Amino acid sequence: MSATATHVAGAAHDHHDDHGPAKGIMRWLTTTNHKDIGTMYLVFSLLMFLLGGAMALVIRAELFMPGMQIVDPGTFNTLTTVHALIMVFGAVMPATVGLANWMIPMQIGAPDMALPRMNNFSFWLLVAAFSLLILSLFMPGGGPAAGWTLYPPLVLQTGDALPLAIFAIHLAGASSIMGSINIIVTIMNLRAPGMTLLKMPLFVWTWLITAYLLIAVMPVFAGAVTMLLTDHFFHTTFFAAAGGGDPVLYQHVFWFFGHPEVYIMILPAFGIVSEIIPTFSRKPLFGYDSMVYATASIAFLSFIVWAHHMFTVGMPLAGEMFFMLSTMLIAVPTGVKVFNWTATMWKGSLSFEPPMLFALAFLFLFTIGGFSGLMMAIAPVDFQYHDTYFIVAHFHYVLVPGAVFAIIAGVYYWLPKWTGHMYDMKLAKAHFWASAIFVNVLFFPQHFLGLAGMPRRIPDYSTQFADWNMVSSIGGFGFGLSQLLFVYLIWKCVRGGAQASARVWDDAKTEGLEWTVPSPAPYHTFEEAPVVK
Amino acid sequence: MDNGPNEQQRRGIRRTTILLALVALAIYVAFIASGVIKSQH
Repeated sequence: MSATATHVAGAAHDHHDDHGPAKGIMRWLTTTNHKDIGTMYLVFSLLMFLLGGAMALVIRAELFMPGMQIVDPGTFNTLTTVHALIMVFGAVMPATVGLANWMIPMQIGAPDMALPRMNNFSFWLLVAAFSLLILSLFMPGGGPAAGWTLYPPLVLQTGDALPLAIFAIHLAGASSIMGSINIIVTIMNLRAPGMTLLKMPLFVWTWLITAYLLIAVMPVFAGAVTMLLTDHFFHTTFFAAAGGGDPVLYQHVFWFFGHPEVYIMILPAFGIVSEIIPTFSRKPLFGYDSMVYATASIAFLSFIVWAHHMFTVGMPLAGEMFFMLSTMLIAVPTGVKVFNWTATMWKGSLSFEPPMLFALAFLFLFTIGGFSGLMMAIAPVDFQYHDTYFIVAHFHYVLVPGAVFAIIAGVYYWLPKWTGHMYDMKLAKAHFWASAIFVNVLFFPQHFLGLAGMPRRIPDYSTQFADWNMVSSIGGFGFGLSQLLFVYLIWKCVRGGAQASARVWDDAKTEGLEWTVPSPAPYHTFEEAPVVK
Repeated sequence: MDNGPNEQQRRGIRRTTILLALVALAIYVAFIASGVIKSQH
């Protein structure tokens, strides 16, 4: 990012103190301020992380040893299904949307999001969606239990929870689409004078591309679950072979959404890491333009690889070859990114503050997840890995030390800008080391379990898998407990701490408009547009 | 706020919003229509 502000009039905003937030609960119910809404998204996602994490701990407790100990198989299936839905749609996505709400207007020099009332509506729609999903757990017949992919015909056996879960997905999808529209129109219309597209920070770029992805694929998922709904209640047969339908059609439609969804979660993470590594390397980002083109290439390729999730379903050899090779192609732009982050650090004056530690862990551990993805792209080999714990290890490496670590890095990077306080560095580093160690204890053994043939989504297993399951569960409890440090640290930082300066990381190389406003960032930033040269 | 969008920006915001919403709606309808066509063959 090469943008530097030459004039930031109105950054202090002394004359606008009367425009501060409303008091009490009404502030949060009716706010149209991007910072308030960003905060609400982040708090919501933290609550969902804790809820989804608690479900994961019950799953790991059940799998601690062979045999049935804690929950019955039906409840286990419900937990795996709802854990995934909560983590994907309730935790990771809203966390990146929260960061986008906070940072995009400040990074492009806009006074707020372009559609502030729709911004508020998007957030509260998400709350409604997850209230419904959580309520569905208590319906007769139990919660949704067919896995987060909701494959028919299995999912059509769900009891009264099905319409609630589908309606929840529709609402969450509508919320995401509205949020994406808001992000695109903000970036395309409200950039400060001089902020050309190729001067935008990488976080803004990755979110712009993510928002287009969301608009392209969320309606696809909405269409798929609408067809499930009509199959269940209105006797259509989209996915019922007996009526002329095709259950495999659902899988194609689902994964046409599902694979880009992975990039919807990881591209903003790439953006966060691309902000942090240059700062603490004290060098500009290596290959800015190539980072933008690599992001766009990854987004394009994400549309033409979906059937690599379906190799074992059966498809013509040409289809297998196409999806195998197109999947492997993704390694090229992803490799460009990993190379550029590494080259940014090369001969840099590195320092290892908590955001940098999490960004570095992201770089190593996401790459492990990427490599296991390449292994699974090989169609004949995928027949061995499919539906085993190897897959579970792969996507958790991409999403936990990948997306989640980048989100945590982003929070540690910008938290002093939001609160005006520095946080406890020692505690944050303790949080990092505990997280980095336990996340590997948790997920790395799952590669071994998968290669040894342990299927996913089972509550009981053969005794040959006992040892590594026990290790994995210990890692799970350790990882879960270490996140309480994060919650405590944020709470402590919000309540007080050493005053943060406007640049926050004074001895590092902070670029970008967000560092030109005081800390905490004023309620209204850039009432007069900054000029970027 | 003083730096609210000017008229040209407002037009851009309105146009882009409507266009993107229509694209999302069209994709939703198209995928359901593809399901209808597939289930009739």
